[in-house]
Amino acid sequence: MTALVLDGVRKVYPSGDDEIVAVHTADLAVGDDEILALVGPSGSGKTTLLSIAGGLLAPTAGAVRVGSTDISGFNQKQLTGFRASSVGFVFQAVNLVPFLTARENLLVVAEMTGQPKGPARRRADQLLDELGLTHRTKNLPAQLSGGERQRVAIGRALMNEPGLVLFDEPTSALDTSLGEQVMGLIRDEVKGRGTAAVIVTHDTRMTEFADRTVSIIDGYLAA
Amino acid sequence: MLLALREVIRAKARFALLSGAVGLLVFLIVFQQALFGGLITSFIGAVENQDAPILVFNDQARSNVEGSFLLPAQAEAISRVDGVADSRLIGQNTFTVATASAPEDAVLFGYTLGELGEPRTLRDGRLPLGPNEAVASAADADKGFDIGDTIEILGDDGPTVTIVGLGEDLRWSVAPTLFVSYETFEAAQAAVNPDATVVLPSLVAVRPADGVDIDTLTDTIDAQVDGVEALTNAEAVAQNPGVQGVSSSITIILALAFVVVILVVGFFFLILTVQKAKPLTLLRAIGSPSSYLVRNLIVQIAVVMTAGIVIGVGSALLVAAVSPTGDVPIEVEVGSVITTVVALFVLAMIGGAVSIRRVLRIDPIRATADSGRTL
Ligand SMILES: Nc1ncnc2c1ncn2[C@@H]1O[C@H](COP(=O)(O)OP(=O)(O)O)[C@@H](O)[C@H]1O
Ligand SMILES: [Mg+2]
Repeated sequence: MTALVLDGVRKVYPSGDDEIVAVHTADLAVGDDEILALVGPSGSGKTTLLSIAGGLLAPTAGAVRVGSTDISGFNQKQLTGFRASSVGFVFQAVNLVPFLTARENLLVVAEMTGQPKGPARRRADQLLDELGLTHRTKNLPAQLSGGERQRVAIGRALMNEPGLVLFDEPTSALDTSLGEQVMGLIRDEVKGRGTAAVIVTHDTRMTEFADRTVSIIDGYLAA
Repeated sequence: MLLALREVIRAKARFALLSGAVGLLVFLIVFQQALFGGLITSFIGAVENQDAPILVFNDQARSNVEGSFLLPAQAEAISRVDGVADSRLIGQNTFTVATASAPEDAVLFGYTLGELGEPRTLRDGRLPLGPNEAVASAADADKGFDIGDTIEILGDDGPTVTIVGLGEDLRWSVAPTLFVSYETFEAAQAAVNPDATVVLPSLVAVRPADGVDIDTLTDTIDAQVDGVEALTNAEAVAQNPGVQGVSSSITIILALAFVVVILVVGFFFLILTVQKAKPLTLLRAIGSPSSYLVRNLIVQIAVVMTAGIVIGVGSALLVAAVSPTGDVPIEVEVGSVITTVVALFVLAMIGGAVSIRRVLRIDPIRATADSGRTL
């Protein structure tokens, strides 16, 4: 089984009278418990591709299948529900709600979709424990270090038990050793759950944590 | 409502300030209403708190007691209208009187003792039992209108009356007011107007027969008697020219305060929503329905309004309780407070609508932007 299939996905942004082709016809399949690194320079289309895979952005052409669901024809409301139930996101910039503690940042994921509190609390505590944040659960994001914040973000992305987790440059704000530590954690968490992941990075040193690396340059995918 | 309540807790000072501001506005609104209520009572208490359910005016008087007089034929005709169980003359006028301390203007209401037109709010003493006895408003007891005080109506051989009882809220036009027998009123009129041959009543007080609707009866009286306008007690109060004048200015002041509530609440939540645009976008991106975010916003508005209303109504009640019962009493009315509270909630939600619209328009794709490094 495959966790993600992109079939002839293309994304074109209008730019005045012109247009920018962010992703040229891309075909990609990610296995059920595979970690895929997507590497490419800035502006090559990594974030665009990830957003399409996660149901945040509709492709100009092509089909997107996540697990057994073809989301290509989904409307906004269906996409929202799909993101809540099936995908985990770690974004490049903002990942945490500043006025919620580490633990609350995980709990809000369950609350916003009306899930029962008891199991959510147990799951949040287990994730925070696995991520080595037991002593930080009551801290606000501003009281955490960069590495700790990123670990909370990973926990938040895993709260809804997704089949596919998408990471957009998860180590770009961290120094090399912290970055490797976080990558190790991502690998442990993802592998421990048998979940698929796509990790976007422009740092080729991080690709050793992935099962497979695909590069993207100017919107063209190359294995 | 994790999101809404945690934010309030983590930004206590901000929300406390807003609640305080709302509280101040609520205080102003409730207190002004209370002052207004007291002022109205001082204007028309004497009519509101006499026991006749219907008062008949001269139709040229435009509901103004001072401008109304009725001819004997009209009074007679009123008494014969179908459905009128009883009708009695009421005389009203302002006189200069001598109290123990100084001369002063006082209003006399003359009615048939023991019959229609009697004050309903006696607090101390008793009702007048004969001529030259009077009930005064308790608010004027300190000004020479207490039980046992004698008042002389100045003029040619004016009568002297003794206060035998005090009632609540019996003033007329914010002046000391005396309820006396109709004969005493006639004597007072004769004293200031010695050449007049007859003394005309100002109003006729009417009690409907059992089972007769008062609104129907006022219509019947208007239809069957020439030149009169029958008003229910409530209509006589509401249509009083003084009350109407005060009403329109207080309405403007209150409307402004309500508009300020909309603006204050609206701007505060708009600023807050704009400031947390990034986390809200994040939540939308990870699959939060807009409705969840809107619900949290509404909860916060409700929290702020509840706190503000508790602060505002609480301090209004406190101030009303400790303020001295001066010339104009302060009357906090439960009914108008409840109406105000409901209106404030509705208006606050209207103020919050701009923020709700903003939340509904969040584009989740913006969460993928890499601007800034704040996590
Ligand atoms: N909303 C947009 N409108 C127009 N052009 C965009 C938009 N988003 C991205 N692009 C363009 O698409 C290309 C790919 O962007 P992106 O996917 O963000 O690259 P990366 O994540 O690899 O840095 C860039 O040239 C970028 O300028
Ligand atoms: Mg990017």
